[in-house]
Amino acid sequence: MDAKSIIDSLVNKFQDSLVDAKVDSDIRVSAYLEPEKIVEVCQYMKDELLFDHLSSETAVDYPKRNEIVVVYHIGSYDHSVLMTIKVKLPRDAPEIESIVPVYWNANWYERETYELFGVKFNNHPYLKPLVLPDELMGDWPLRKDYEGFPNRTARNLV
Amino acid sequence: MDETVGPSEMIVHLGPQHPMQPGPFRLNLKLKGETVVDADIELGFIHKGIEKILENKTYLQGIPIVDRICYLTAMTNEEAYVGAVEKLADIEVPERSQYIRVIVEELSRLQSHLLGMGEFGAFIGFVSMFMYTIKEREDILSLMDMVTGARITHTFLRFGGVRDDLPEGFKERSAAVFASLREQIADYERLFNHDEIYKQRCFGVGILEAKTARDLGLSGPALRATGVAFDIRKDEPYLVYKDLDFKVCTATDGDIAARINVRLEEMLESMYIIEQCLDQMPNGPLFFEDSSYGVRTPVMRVPEGDVFHRVEDPRGEMGFYMVSDGSDKPYRVKIRGPVYPTMQALPPLIKGTTLADVAAIAGSMDGCTSEADR
Repeated sequence: MDAKSIIDSLVNKFQDSLVDAKVDSDIRVSAYLEPEKIVEVCQYMKDELLFDHLSSETAVDYPKRNEIVVVYHIGSYDHSVLMTIKVKLPRDAPEIESIVPVYWNANWYERETYELFGVKFNNHPYLKPLVLPDELMGDWPLRKDYEGFPNRTARNLV
Repeated sequence: MDETVGPSEMIVHLGPQHPMQPGPFRLNLKLKGETVVDADIELGFIHKGIEKILENKTYLQGIPIVDRICYLTAMTNEEAYVGAVEKLADIEVPERSQYIRVIVEELSRLQSHLLGMGEFGAFIGFVSMFMYTIKEREDILSLMDMVTGARITHTFLRFGGVRDDLPEGFKERSAAVFASLREQIADYERLFNHDEIYKQRCFGVGILEAKTARDLGLSGPALRATGVAFDIRKDEPYLVYKDLDFKVCTATDGDIAARINVRLEEMLESMYIIEQCLDQMPNGPLFFEDSSYGVRTPVMRVPEGDVFHRVEDPRGEMGFYMVSDGSDKPYRVKIRGPVYPTMQALPPLIKGTTLADVAAIAGSMDGCTSEADR
């Protein structure tokens, strides 16, 4: 399975919700996606395109654009193409459906993204802090306007 | 985990400090008699915030920081970080530097597997094993010391090359070390696979099916022991791995012994790779002259963009997702370590086994809390 056919198949199926889908190299493809479709797209990729390995899931904060972008890196054990899906969320109320039902190991990645960025994952089985102590909960330390303990600048945003 | 305990059940906390553990984490086990009926893991005892630290350091200052994600795999962490920056900034690496990088990374794989195996031996009550492997590991570390000037945290790779060339006499000294290590590996194999107690404890225990291992998102030796030939060095070749002859070591049983045997075999492959490199490597510069990112450039700006670069760590797939905004510091770095999914997969793996097997299973997965917490 090569990068071009993967992107074609995805664009055919999810024409309206995929933006800027492109082939970056032989082994990398990427696209922006509407937040509502994330579980459906992941399920399709896992069942039809052999993307059975969630490599990583994280977020990037863009305070100037008032956006938090959740980034999914989904790879495969059978072919070497790795798909990067980016989902833009509003910075003041970032919320997205959890993909744990599709990829089991998304559990910890989503817990970490939640405690570090404040992105809320709906229908997550156990959305509790993973690496941070309880006192830092609500500070969202990986956001760009976090100034560090004890100046809790980002605390009142979400 | 549900904290309510039924009749004849109890909760046992392994950790945060326990001799069995490769770093502090808490393993909560719900036991019914000797059987583990439920388990969960608490992390965060050595969370260092490395991702945030990297955002506040220049690219060059980041290299010693990524060394310290896990001291066993410092070299491959550096490769993932430096490789990601090179992809972003489009920096070419001369062939001689690429060969030197492969050599030090395979040495790093050797010493990581040796220590992992020693720790595993200690966990199952075979403490002499730790003494055997730590001796051989020290020889490998002296080889790395010869090249990089440090035993465990090297700060050796640079954008577009490596810091120093191989020293005089490296080839001869490595040949002597490898000859002794080959003998030792044959010994380890005999020690493990022909010992009656080891057979009873490790054959057919902690079995992972290939499908379960895929669903759990594992990589590295733990996955390859189930028969899935997933190796970034083959699937997504970086450096000069595509010019080198090596095989991806797999086993089919998926039990504790299979994971150990895969590591033993991989060590032989690593030595074979290093010997090929020493024979094949061309003479030439360590940096291209027109590269503006050599050792002498203090300020380095990286073009805007993002990249996900992954390499094969001793434990599996190590990936760096790096976002640059065009300044001299990374805008965001996400470290995707191989141990993170491994630790996550531990509770489902030990559910249904006995308390005595927990240490053996956890040891054979070769975890490292420092890397999982970051």
